[in-house]
Amino acid sequence: MKRKAKPRTTSPLTARPLTARPLRHLESYTPPEGVPIGLELASLGARFGAVILDVVLIWLGIGVILIAVFWLNLLPFSALLTLAVIFGFFAGVPYYVLAELIWHGRTLGKRITGIRVVSADGRALGPHQIVARNLLKQAEFFAPLGAIYSIRLTEWPMVAVIVAWCLCVGLCPMISKRKQRLGDVVAGTLVVVKPRAALLADLALQKPQARFTFDQTQLDIYGSYELQTLEMILRDTSRSPLLRAEMAKVAQTIARRTGFTDPAVTTDPQGFLTAFYRAQRERLESRQLFGDRRVDKFHNIAGDK
Amino acid sequence: MIAPTSPTAPTALISPTAPTSPTAPISPTAPTSPTAPTSPTAPTSPTALVSPDLLRSARFRLDREPSWRRLEALVQQAEAQGIASLDYTKAKDLAVLYRQAMTSLALARDISLDLALLTYLDQLCARAWLVVYAPQQSLSGLLGRLLHSGIPQAVRRSAVPLLIGALALMLGAVAGFVLFMRDASWFYTFVPTGLSDGRAPGASVEYLRATLYDSHPQGTDMLAAFAAYLFSNNTNVAIFIFGLGIFCAVPSFLLTFYNGLVIGAFFGLFAQAGLGFDAFAWLSIHGVTELAAICIACAGGARLGLAVLLPGPLSRRDALRLHGRDAVKLFMLTGLMLLVAGVVEGVLRQTITDPAARLTIGWGLAVFWVIWLTFSGRTAKAAPP
Repeated sequence: MKRKAKPRTTSPLTARPLTARPLRHLESYTPPEGVPIGLELASLGARFGAVILDVVLIWLGIGVILIAVFWLNLLPFSALLTLAVIFGFFAGVPYYVLAELIWHGRTLGKRITGIRVVSADGRALGPHQIVARNLLKQAEFFAPLGAIYSIRLTEWPMVAVIVAWCLCVGLCPMISKRKQRLGDVVAGTLVVVKPRAALLADLALQKPQARFTFDQTQLDIYGSYELQTLEMILRDTSRSPLLRAEMAKVAQTIARRTGFTDPAVTTDPQGFLTAFYRAQRERLESRQLFGDRRVDKFHNIAGDK
Repeated sequence: MIAPTSPTAPTALISPTAPTSPTAPISPTAPTSPTAPTSPTAPTSPTALVSPDLLRSARFRLDREPSWRRLEALVQQAEAQGIASLDYTKAKDLAVLYRQAMTSLALARDISLDLALLTYLDQLCARAWLVVYAPQQSLSGLLGRLLHSGIPQAVRRSAVPLLIGALALMLGAVAGFVLFMRDASWFYTFVPTGLSDGRAPGASVEYLRATLYDSHPQGTDMLAAFAAYLFSNNTNVAIFIFGLGIFCAVPSFLLTFYNGLVIGAFFGLFAQAGLGFDAFAWLSIHGVTELAAICIACAGGARLGLAVLLPGPLSRRDALRLHGRDAVKLFMLTGLMLLVAGVVEGVLRQTITDPAARLTIGWGLAVFWVIWLTFSGRTAKAAPP
């Protein structure tokens, strides 16, 4: 079902972006059961925030422990120093690996920002994948940035090389289609948003009013894109006057396109749209059962019957 | 298309010659049939509520909604309290309901255009998938398997990368030694001033001997801190060597080569002062393990680099993922060896001053590594045909 690249008229139904799906960056992802599920790729902002949170939280924790030990005078100074060095080491790769092993692909920061690591092949996240992505995280960002700190600023070419390196590596997830950094590529992992959704009521349960009946030619105009856009408008729970105005506009547009000439369209746009939604969905679903998927209102132009 | 396999299809299909009636697809003659086979755990009579003039997709949803809700509750419990909190029946239900929900999702995509329903099922299945396919191994079992078979097998599969790593270090050491013997000023080029600690060309033999045999200038109570620092420092170097291997192994090779240069120049310095054997013993006690660890980190990097350079029939991305498994195990070995070397270097090196004992400990450790990596985790099938 190809769609012709035609300039679209800006009716209220198509003024939105092309897809009616509410999730951005939808990743089609196939578990062993063979049914693709939709996971939303985590935004780079959320991932960066998670890293910052991790670093801050873990060093805060270490600082509190060390100060407590020092304050209570539990250990001699040299042992305290040993403890500090060991903690400093632990705050790197070991922390990330252990956290992601124990919490199934989530660190503290990832838990707070609501993102997690999954295996790109749809199977369980393996331990070697966790180790690989975190080792490379260290090599990509933490180790070079730590090296800048220990280099004297007079050695500016070295600093420039390191900064260039970090920029290049940081560019990778921006270019990558699935937002993978180098470590994700080697480990075969993705970072996704934790899925959550509530089941909203079915809009087609109410019995339609008798005066809103549509014949087949009226229902052959729109496709599922327009249907689902209409669904989103009907589901909008804000009872603002703006929404009411938009609903009236949408109802009038649909009535004009379908040639529906009942004055009830203007007096009860919500009732009209609900009835139209039900009839349109019924029509499109039954066409879909015959293999006739009508993607949008251009399905007739593309040569479909 | 779902029509041929759906139990309701034959009664509900409208004939193409009579398309005008909008109510035809939901023929009231077959309102109750589809529920029984698909939802065994659902409450007994959802169909009683279903009125026949509903849309097919709405009936589909009403039939299955109780089992989705139950799955949602199970998933919520598993997410909040861990999968271990589910008892036997609940765990069994989770597996069954998960597969049912997956089937519902596949069906819903064909028969329903209700965006809210599709989104909900999508997300429910994703959540259930994350719970059902969460890794279930215990941490200790994981570690045991890694030590027993994972790491040794990975090492035995990586002969060429190990050769590359060893070659890099040895070439570096030989080059460093030879260049230093020709012209002592090379020393300043190779060795950063912070590392040399007064051990430079022109230092007296007594001073050099003292650095080999006297205890650490900061006193013995700082040894543990020193060991921890060395370990942490070395591990960071190893992570660099490993991670940069992804660029066709060249940075790994160069970094290892550079490490070799430093060792070679140092050894040349002591050899010139007639302390060659003593320096060898001093270096052996921890250096055998530490340098081997650096070689192995380089081998891990080379494994990644070779995957990029010579992916064979795979795509580069897939080759990286495949070789990444072994490369990571090589790196775990590096970490373990560096830990041992750090302890030996920080504690034993300063307290044991007899060259013979130093040699015994250093090379004894080496024999242990070789035996472990050669013989552990062999299975009958693992032998090369």
